[in-house]
Amino acid sequence: MTLAVRRSSSPSLWVGLGLVGLVVVTALASFLWTPHDPTLVDAAQRLRGPGTDYVFGTDKFGRDLFSQVMVGARTTLFVGVVAVGVAALIGTPLGVFAAMAPKWLGEFVMRVNDLVLAFPALLLAIVFGAVFGADTLTAMIAIGIASVPSFARIARSGALGVMSTEYVLAARSAGRSRTAIAVRHVLPNIAGLVIVQSSVSFAIAVLSEAALSFLGFGTRPPTPSWGRMLQESQELLAVEPRLALVPGVAIAIAVLGFNLLGDGLRDRYDPRLEVRR
Amino acid sequence: MKRISLFLAALLVAGCSAGSTASAPRDPNAITIGFSAEPANFDFTRTDGTAIPQALLYNVYEGLVKLDENGQVKPLLAESWRVSPDRLSYEFSLRANASFSNGSPFTADNVKFSIERVKTTWGISQKSKMDVVSRVEVLAPTKVRVTLSRPSNNWLFDMTTRVGAMFSPDGVADLPNNPVGTGPYDVAARNRGSSITLKANPRYWGPKPAYETVYLRYFKDSTALNNALLSNGIDVVSAVAAPDSMPQFENDTRFNVTQGITNGEVVLSFNGRKAPLNDVRVRRALTQGIDRRVLLDTAWAGRGELIGSMVPRTDPWYTDLTGVNAYNPENAKKLLAEAGQQNLNLRLRIPNLPYAVTSAQVVKSELNKIGVGVSIEPLDFPAVWLKSVFTEHDFDMSIIQHVEPRDITTFGNTKYYWGYDSPKVRRLLAEGDRGSPEQQVTAMREVAATLADDAAACWLFLFPNLIAAKKKVGGLPLNQISEAFDLTILRRAGS
Repeated sequence: MTLAVRRSSSPSLWVGLGLVGLVVVTALASFLWTPHDPTLVDAAQRLRGPGTDYVFGTDKFGRDLFSQVMVGARTTLFVGVVAVGVAALIGTPLGVFAAMAPKWLGEFVMRVNDLVLAFPALLLAIVFGAVFGADTLTAMIAIGIASVPSFARIARSGALGVMSTEYVLAARSAGRSRTAIAVRHVLPNIAGLVIVQSSVSFAIAVLSEAALSFLGFGTRPPTPSWGRMLQESQELLAVEPRLALVPGVAIAIAVLGFNLLGDGLRDRYDPRLEVRR
Repeated sequence: MKRISLFLAALLVAGCSAGSTASAPRDPNAITIGFSAEPANFDFTRTDGTAIPQALLYNVYEGLVKLDENGQVKPLLAESWRVSPDRLSYEFSLRANASFSNGSPFTADNVKFSIERVKTTWGISQKSKMDVVSRVEVLAPTKVRVTLSRPSNNWLFDMTTRVGAMFSPDGVADLPNNPVGTGPYDVAARNRGSSITLKANPRYWGPKPAYETVYLRYFKDSTALNNALLSNGIDVVSAVAAPDSMPQFENDTRFNVTQGITNGEVVLSFNGRKAPLNDVRVRRALTQGIDRRVLLDTAWAGRGELIGSMVPRTDPWYTDLTGVNAYNPENAKKLLAEAGQQNLNLRLRIPNLPYAVTSAQVVKSELNKIGVGVSIEPLDFPAVWLKSVFTEHDFDMSIIQHVEPRDITTFGNTKYYWGYDSPKVRRLLAEGDRGSPEQQVTAMREVAATLADDAAACWLFLFPNLIAAKKKVGGLPLNQISEAFDLTILRRAGS
């Protein structure tokens, strides 16, 4: 198999793109249309089974599950963007800085990084929620902070590789500043690595939001969130398993999609894989 | 600094375990009961909250009188009592054969010691219930006279709560860890974060309890508590906190299920200290904008009762006030327009407890229909909610269950978190306490009606007492209206 064929036909990439696309299209569509108001309580429609009126049925408040899943997709994408944004915007420059700074300073930054890495992400988010109030944004900033070390590590290892290339040595001997080298040479060359890491972190953020909402520290009610839908279904698990199944499948699709997309992108961009081929 | 300490406290709490999982011991003389809130220690004289008296009152500690499940005051350590015609002095005849679990006999001296100790040493707000006592005299080892500074109907009732518990001077050295009472049980062991073991007190003066050993097990999560019963880990769920899960017990022949009432009024409280909720038209509009039948049906599976004021059915001054400020969305909109509040946005700051989170979503949906915007903010309970809403009054509306018996009197306290201030209600409450029992009923009925008309709060529903238990357990209390989970009324089914 040639490299070109492998690149264009990676099934992970396409399946991942398809699943992520489904989530994105659903989220965008929910801005224009949902079958019912996802937060409207209607006692008369309580716990209806799936049917023509309500595709996935209704929950114990009489709210349409399908509409909630649609709007919940927005929450899912929002948390991913915030968490990955925070992690990538802090982690990547930090990693590049650690690679380019004097050795002792770089080592110091990375050891502090290891300390943050040792702290469980969910616990950090719960603490943030308890102190600053439970909220999607608070929770995702916490998850983002907890994901900073993984970005810093990837960026540093990538940057160290770039730093030893001849064109960087040439730039340095020509007297270009460190900042200019970082922006001009290092960042473009590690972009692929950061994108791969982003898609994996995205999946982790989606799962974290679900877990936090499940524990009552995530998205505020009644804003639809797949994690909270799962939590609300908990006491009805024995009576109405459908209520857990619907958001559970949605979470699985989104996480699988982002993970496959990450795998596919790695096949494309990871320089180490190319060398092996 | 405060924020840092809160941060550290949250870390500590987050690190704690989620509850017990082991299965129930198979001793036929033992029973295991599952609860959701664990006592922080055993000292209810200095620690607030309902978890400690729930475990210890009537079981380890006893008072002169107790409250039965129909709200009647019954003799306990006092065999009988006589009230003077001016209703200022109470003469109690005490049981001669009662003793404390450490062997000290129970005498009139202990009554004097215990009542005076509430006034001098107790550290919780409920100690003020004893302020009305001016003198305690020991007449004989089994005779004691309590003199009040003014007639008070509430005092004898309050003696059924924790402030009436009897202590021995040689048993109060280590109350947080070693409670010494006259009750049918003694604390045998404590496994912090998981369980408390009670053993029958061999010196008990009354009938032997049906179960020699009682394990009180604590579960933070309502589903875990339910599952413990389904998987044979416990014998009784003291209060099913997930009402939608009741059918799984009702449809299972292994279990008995009872549904009664509690003292817990689930209240949508309004912050009457500030605009716009200091305007009675706005409060009436919000109350009339919420269909409380729909709320009860959706948020709590229709289990519970609708109440129109702060009075459960078991109080003598109960009248049905659900028709006052009843659901009328059209009128609600008119009232808002009259008050000039058509673009109202309110913060609903609630504890992150299941009943509050589910009720809040219905409240929001209902109020949106009359054009009122609501943003729900769940706060960590108890720490953050108590600090922010209860103490600092930083809220527009909140939802909380008020569980203390006869807590309608809190509307007479202008410093209370909802800041309700009505001279008429304060006067009626004082008159009711001072007057004859008949006058009290009349006055309290008027208090309840005034609060309902004033929409001092919106009473969403009365919390149900849902108990699920194995068939072998009998004598389960139908209603839960005292502070105690009374173990003495339990028996073996068929006996």
